[in-house]
Parts: sequence; C-alpha cells; structure tokens
Amino acid sequence: MTMFHHALAVLAVIVVVFAIAKKCKVSTELSLLLGSIGAIIAHLLVPMGVDPRSPLPFTEIIRHFVEGTFTYFDVCLTFLTATFFMTLYKEAGGVSYMVRLIVSKFYKHRFVCLLLLMIVMLIPGAVTGSGATTVLTVGGLVGAVLTAMGMKEDRRVALIFLLAAMSAACPPINLWAMMAAAGANMPYVGFTYPLAILSIAGALFATFYLTRGLKNDRPMEEVLQTLPEAPEGWNMLRALVPFIVMIVLIVGARIFPKVWPVVGLPMIFIFSAIAVLICSPKKVKIFQVACTVVVNLKELVGIMMVVGILNQIMTLTGARGLLSLAVVVLPIWLLFAALWLILPVSEGVLQYAVAPLFGVPLIMLFNMLGYNPVIALSTWAVMWPVGDCLPPTAVVGRAAVLELDYKGDYYKGFVKNALIPMLFVLAICTIAMIFNKPFGNFLGV
Amino acid sequence: MDKKTVCIKIIAVILVVACMATAGYLFWEHRNYKEPVVLGDGVTEVKKLSEYSDVVKGTINDCNVYIMDSGVEGGTMLVFARTHPEEPTGPMVTNLMIENMKVTKGKVIIINSLNTSGTTYTRNGEAYPRYFTYETDWGVKKWRYGDRTASPLDSWPDPEVYLHYPSGQSLAYMDIRNANRNWPGKEGGLLTERTAYAVMQLIEQEGVDLSLDLHEAELEYAVENTIVAHQRGSDVAAMASMTLTAYTFDVPVTSEISPTALHGLCHREVGDFSDCIPFLVEVAEPMLDRIRGITDEQLLMSGKDVFVIEAGKHGLLYAPIDENGWPIEKRVARHLSVTTSLMDFFGQLHPESVITVEGLPAYEDLLQGLGSYYHDPSTVDPSRIAYD
Repeated sequence: MTMFHHALAVLAVIVVVFAIAKKCKVSTELSLLLGSIGAIIAHLLVPMGVDPRSPLPFTEIIRHFVEGTFTYFDVCLTFLTATFFMTLYKEAGGVSYMVRLIVSKFYKHRFVCLLLLMIVMLIPGAVTGSGATTVLTVGGLVGAVLTAMGMKEDRRVALIFLLAAMSAACPPINLWAMMAAAGANMPYVGFTYPLAILSIAGALFATFYLTRGLKNDRPMEEVLQTLPEAPEGWNMLRALVPFIVMIVLIVGARIFPKVWPVVGLPMIFIFSAIAVLICSPKKVKIFQVACTVVVNLKELVGIMMVVGILNQIMTLTGARGLLSLAVVVLPIWLLFAALWLILPVSEGVLQYAVAPLFGVPLIMLFNMLGYNPVIALSTWAVMWPVGDCLPPTAVVGRAAVLELDYKGDYYKGFVKNALIPMLFVLAICTIAMIFNKPFGNFLGV
Repeated sequence: MDKKTVCIKIIAVILVVACMATAGYLFWEHRNYKEPVVLGDGVTEVKKLSEYSDVVKGTINDCNVYIMDSGVEGGTMLVFARTHPEEPTGPMVTNLMIENMKVTKGKVIIINSLNTSGTTYTRNGEAYPRYFTYETDWGVKKWRYGDRTASPLDSWPDPEVYLHYPSGQSLAYMDIRNANRNWPGKEGGLLTERTAYAVMQLIEQEGVDLSLDLHEAELEYAVENTIVAHQRGSDVAAMASMTLTAYTFDVPVTSEISPTALHGLCHREVGDFSDCIPFLVEVAEPMLDRIRGITDEQLLMSGKDVFVIEAGKHGLLYAPIDENGWPIEKRVARHLSVTTSLMDFFGQLHPESVITVEGLPAYEDLLQGLGSYYHDPSTVDPSRIAYD
C-alpha cells in the first residue's frame, strides 16, 4: 500500500463519517469534527507506504486538534466584534434611523438607491477581506432598506450574500490573494485593478439582475409607516460617528503607516461599539447584547474552529497534499475548464485554507507555464468567495440567513436565486483567466 | 434542559478542558524549551542583539550573537539562520560552525535564531512537528521547529495590509511578522521590524563586509538551490556557484541578482542601506511543498515524499527529486559549502576583507553523517554553553 492509497483512504473515511453523521441529523460542525476523528483513526490504522514515519503519540494528536481550532482565531474575533458593534447599533435604534433616512431620501430614485446600497455593502468587505463581516455589519441595514423597497425575501438574501462575497473579493484587501501571494513569495502588488474590475462587475450584475422587476410605486409615507421608528434624539451626526470611527481607524493605517499604530480589526470594531454607546440617545444593555451575539454566532464560530481542525488533520495525514496534487497535475485545458467549479466547492469545505492549499501550487504552475500569475490569482480570488454559500461550511450564506432572519428554503429559495449571478461571476473570471495575458497587458500588470 | 443533555454537556466540557490542558502543556513546553549550544574554541564572545540596539531589549527576539574573532585583521562576515524558523538546515549549519569552526583571519559573527519568536510555535493548519532532532554519538540533539513568521503571541494583531517601511510596498498582512520582509527594519515598528533594525545596527557597528542568510525552499518555487546576491556581490556569488557546481555538488547551485523592485528582503535592503554585501542561499526542502504527503519529522529530515516525486514526474518542480529525497545531511553540506565558498571568493575579490577559517568538515564528510560534529553539552564546562 502506498501513501497515495493511505491518503485516499483517509479522504474516504472523512466523507463517509460526515455523510453518516449528517444522516443521523448531527449538526454540520459536529459531523466535520467526527470526520476529523475518523481521519486520524484511519491514519493510525491504514499502512502509510514504504518510507519510515515518525511516531505520533496520543498527546500530539490532541495538540493537533487544539492547534487546528486556532487557525481562524482572528477571523472569529472579527466576526464576534463586528457583530457586537452592529447589534449595539441596532439595539440603540441607529439602524432604524439610517433605514428611514435612506428610504426617505432615495426611495423614488431606485437606480441611485441600489447603487448606493451596493457601495455600502462593498466597503466593509473591501477593507477587511471578510464577506461575513460585511453581512454582520451592514447586511441587516441594507436588507431592511431592500425590504422597504418591496424586494422578495429569497432574492434579498441572495443579493446580500452576493454583494458580501464580492465585497470580500474587492480590493484593497482580498485575503485569498494575500495568503496565496505570501505563500508564493509574491508582493501584494498589481491586484487592485483586476480584482476591482471582476468584483465590481459581479456586484453590479447581481444588484440589477436580482432587483429586476422591482417596483417602488407605493407612496413613500406608506413605506415609512411599515418601518420601525427610531428612538428620539438620533440625528445624522450621531448615526454616522461610529462608522466614521471605524473608517478613520482603518484608512488611517493606510495613509499614515509610519506613525499609525496597528490596532487590528477586532479592536477597531470595539472602538466603533464604544462610539455607539457614546452617541446613542438610548441606554443599551451591553451585557445582554454581548450574550446575544455569542449565542447567535456560536454555529459560525464553531464551523470555523472545526474547519481549522479538519484542515490540520488533513495536512497531517497527507489527505490535503493529495487534493492539492490532484489539482496541479490536471492538464492545463482541464484546469481552465474546471477551476470555476473546483474553487468555490473547495471554499465551501475549507474556507480561507484553500488559498495556500490550491492557490500557491497553482500560482507556481501558472508562473512556470508563462501565464500572468497576478491576473490568474485575481480571477481565482474572486471565484473563491462565491463558494461561501456552499456546504458544509457556507459561512457567509449562513451569516446572511442569520442576519436577515430568513425563513425560506436555503437551497430552493436562497441559493437558487443566487445561482445566475454566481455563474456570471464564475464565467467572467474564467474568461479573464483564459485571456490572462491580454487582460494583464491591458491593465499594465 | 433534560438530564441527558446536562450529562452530555458536562462530559463535553470535561473533554474540552482535558484537551486544552494537554495541548496547553505541549505549547508551553515548546515555547520554553532552551536549545543548548556548545561553544567551540573559536567562539570569543557571546553577546545579545540588544547590545547593538535596545529596540529588541526585553523581547523574545533579543537573540544570542556569537562572535568568532581571530584577532587578526581581515574581513567580517555575518551568518544568520532561522529568519524562517520552519527551515531547519540553517540552525544546524550555524550550530555546527559555532561548535567546530576556528577563525584564523578576520571575524565571523553568527546568529542561530534571528526570529526566535517564530521558533516557539508552529503554524496553525500545517500540522508541523514541534521539534526536529538528530542522532549523535552521545544521544539526540534537539531543536525547536517553528513557523515562517513570528508568533502572534509576541506580535499581534497584524495590520489589514502590511506596508513595508520605508518603500511603502504592499505585502500580505502576515508578512509583518516575516523577518525576511522587514529589512532594513523600523526602530519603533513591530517585533520583526525592530529585529531587522537591530541587526542593521549590528552590521554597522561591527563593520560587517558580507552577510549570509540561510534558507530553504519548496521544490515548486522558482528560487531554488541558488545564491541570491545584491548586485554588488553578483561576482562573488557567480564564482561560488560555478565552482561548487563544477567540483562539489551533484545538483547545481545557481546564482541570481536580487530584484530591485521587491522590498523588505535582506539581499536587497541590507545592500541598499549599508556597506555590507548581502547574500541569501536556498536549498530544497520538500516539507515546505503544499503538495506534500504525510507531515512529520521524518519528512522534514529525510526530504522524501512520494507526492512531491509525483509532481516532479509532471515537470512541476524546479529541483530534481527521487526516492532518495533531500536528506538533511546533503542540505547542511550544501549550505556549509556555500558559506565557506562565499568567504573564500569574497576574500579573493576584496583582498582587504579576507576571512580564513579551519575546523569545518568537508562536503563529502558531512554526507556521511552530522552526529559527530555536535558535542555533548553534559560533558562541557557550563560556562561554555549558551542557550538559544
């Protein structure tokens, strides 16, 4: 038995254990954890090939499991603090105030309104690199405006997801491109234009495709009556200060990098939350909000921890290497034809870990074959977040469902509506990947 | 909540606490393990990096600086390892030099562990072993295995994007903890920026003529089995590469000039911001390939991996590999040969900066095994042992 058979057996065990656990109605997080435990048992039992291997004591196995849970520690902290900030803002009545303001100003100007909402959605992900952060910070607010505009639930959650995915892909911060570039020893330079063109094209298509046929012919007063009242005392300045704090802290580090301290996103959201408390005319129960946030996010944080474990165990057992090898040895024509499927699906399984897993070997392969690595990586980095609504993790999709309190069917309602814009994004990225050289020459990359 | 659910929850909490305690102890043990370094006769002084600049004083990166001074006027060379602590050949070479080498002309300065912080934890998701070991005549010699970057325990949080100082070039956020993306350093910056700054002060104060940064690279990466030199050192690198390829190595070592547009790298910035001529050397390490199979210490030390061999059959690698892999003996032998070769040719081309050394084993001797070149710390006068 060779190491190929060993790694294949480990992969098979993961799939079988996960499928059985799901069949027994075990949650996705626990099913993945059981899959990881199954993988390590298979690793210990199945012969590993002819080369000698190091012993793997039980305590080291425990260490690998615990170490894996910390893979997305920063991402989880960002989720928790961003949601804490926005939940405080919502509880204080800031969201109600902003929604009423936007509706009263732009309700009759549908095109402008949608464009503004799209920009509002793109900004948080563009500066943090996280689609879930977009959903958790402004998704609820934008969703409420779309509800007021009469948009159906299925399409609304689909649009929020797609804009969040494109916001994560949008420059300046694209975590997939960054991680893969760092792994391939490339500077994070030259990505701005290709990422911007692809992600903004995707966002525009999603926005206007999903809002097609939307009629805002109800009188504005009637619409405003359906919206919750904002508490007394809110005004434009109070409502904007928390966001100004957030933007200043993020942008300041870019403009004055020599003197600006590195604060980190979680602390930036905590400062913004403090700004909410200072600006809010209404007292908010902080501890209650914090507890609600933790309870609401436990599945999202849980899945990130378990995916970290799965990734670590797959690496330990050789299963991750086998997947990575299987992709890079594909004939190049097949890679061009299949990456639009492989990348989103792998994102659904491993989240950001796919960037070093597939991104790094693929960049090296494309570089070796004389393709433009910046353009190629940019196209993959826009395709990856499209998979964030796919099982088993579906992190951004689940965040959108949670934030918009979506009651419809996840696949037949939400994903089905998102499918055409998703395919559009994957198609333009594939075209850009195929024509990477002329596209690169055109952009001067 | 029914009784059964309460029971399940209690059991789950007990299991989680037990796992955390077990892993916590292992993390603590890894972070606090001290590597004994036997000081050979050639070591004349052991300093701390903070003696050159106090920006690293009190930090984990205030590493040992081993001075090997002949007392005879000549050149000064700085050799440093563990810029990337996931590359074990570097510290094995510098350890071997410290324990065996005697400088007969000029001065050699060695840093075993430039980014010590990165040696105290392993990268999440990469399933690395915590240590790497080598069987010697007296027992097992053990080193901490680490990550490519400094530990978040010592440098956290990262910015959303890392803007290199002073060029302003954008790099991935985690590269702010990558010791080979921070040169020439920043006095008031984060840990690795300050570390690079302190080493630049060392270079200036000691009048270092040439420096060598010891690295390893994945076989999928184009910069492989090569000497990267600042343009002022391209002649020295070319001569070393030609000679070693012609007479010593089975797999050629090439030479290339440091790109001018990429910032933060030692072979670019040290040369641009000081009189020192910097070099960096790479050797193949299959453990670093993402397509590798089972991840363990065996792979790290033997450099054997059938998945990487398979990728080689598809023409996807920049270095040859067969069933013999890239054993640590060969990697150490290559790096040591490049080090002495650069020393020799630098002296030939810069007669005012000659450095001569003795006591180092030859390439072929090292291929037979490294164990006899590391000495038993338990049999040495404690005053002749340093800890990294």
